[in-house]
Amino acid sequence: MMELIGSILVLLGAIFHFSAGLGMLRMPDAYTRMQAGTKASTLGNTLVLLGLAFYHPGWGLKLLIIVYFVLMTNPISSHALARAAYGIRIPLAGKTGIDALRDVRRKRGGRK
Amino acid sequence: MIQRLCVAVAIASFGLVFASLAVGYTEQNSLRPLAESYVRLVPHELGAPNVITGILLTYRGFDTLGEVAVLFMVAASVGLLLGARRRPRGTSTRDRASESRASSEIVRTGADILVPLICIFAAYIIMNGHLSAGGGFQGGAVIASGVLLTLLAFPQYQPNLEFLSITESLAGALFVLVGIAGLVMAGGFLDNRILPLGQFGAFFSAGAIPLLSVLLGVKVGCELSVILERFRPKKS
Repeated sequence: MMELIGSILVLLGAIFHFSAGLGMLRMPDAYTRMQAGTKASTLGNTLVLLGLAFYHPGWGLKLLIIVYFVLMTNPISSHALARAAYGIRIPLAGKTGIDALRDVRRKRGGRK
Repeated sequence: MIQRLCVAVAIASFGLVFASLAVGYTEQNSLRPLAESYVRLVPHELGAPNVITGILLTYRGFDTLGEVAVLFMVAASVGLLLGARRRPRGTSTRDRASESRASSEIVRTGADILVPLICIFAAYIIMNGHLSAGGGFQGGAVIASGVLLTLLAFPQYQPNLEFLSITESLAGALFVLVGIAGLVMAGGFLDNRILPLGQFGAFFSAGAIPLLSVLLGVKVGCELSVILERFRPKKS
């Protein structure tokens, strides 16, 4: 039973990883690609590691630490990358409606 | 059309190559004679459950010393090439300063949380090198990744290069001294039996291997940190 639950979780994680890869290919600009890659792969990693924890209950604590590390690093790194991309003015996709970062910087005034 | 055909042909040929690899793969059930003798000798002679670290730090300890020396030469030559670099013509200091944006609050907070974690993980890898996967080199690289994160999150942070190079030289000298002690007190250069082997699998065991691991980790961590610092754009 435990093995079955673990396998299903790993499979779910693999599906999310697949959707991350699909998003990287299909999304229109750098920011949306980054978002697809980060969100889906974070959840995919978490699910795969959770599934492993069901397989090997003894590894639980170590896997929990890895999950914590992934949850900490993945969003922060993609945030830094996206900000850097915005900083060197990589264009947004044509359909983009709201640019909150630009609005904030305008409101502060002076700074581009 | 032709492009798509080319892509399809390329994918098909890749598939063929990997299929032949997958079909031809047979799992090796027995070790080769050399590997087998190492697997037998290391736990018996050196008292280290991790055969690879045992080989790297004793039988092949001299090679490891050479690798560290190569790393040291890389650090020195990077310093030579980048340290005395002049600013490109036409870019003033002010351009540089405005070019480098301050890192955002999320990155700084994340670095605050992650750097201690990374350092603890590095210490774990180094100290358990003789018991599980890991060792000095790997742990040193993890330390350097923590330093890199600090450099990225806090661009104004200035590591003390003199302290780093003194620590690194000291670790290297102690490494060689332990090696010579092995020559005098035990069977040869970098022999780990100058300290008691202890109980097999315990934290304090395997003779001088943990000591060598720590020295190697400190040395590699300092060297890589110096290299990373050298690659930063100079302010003045």
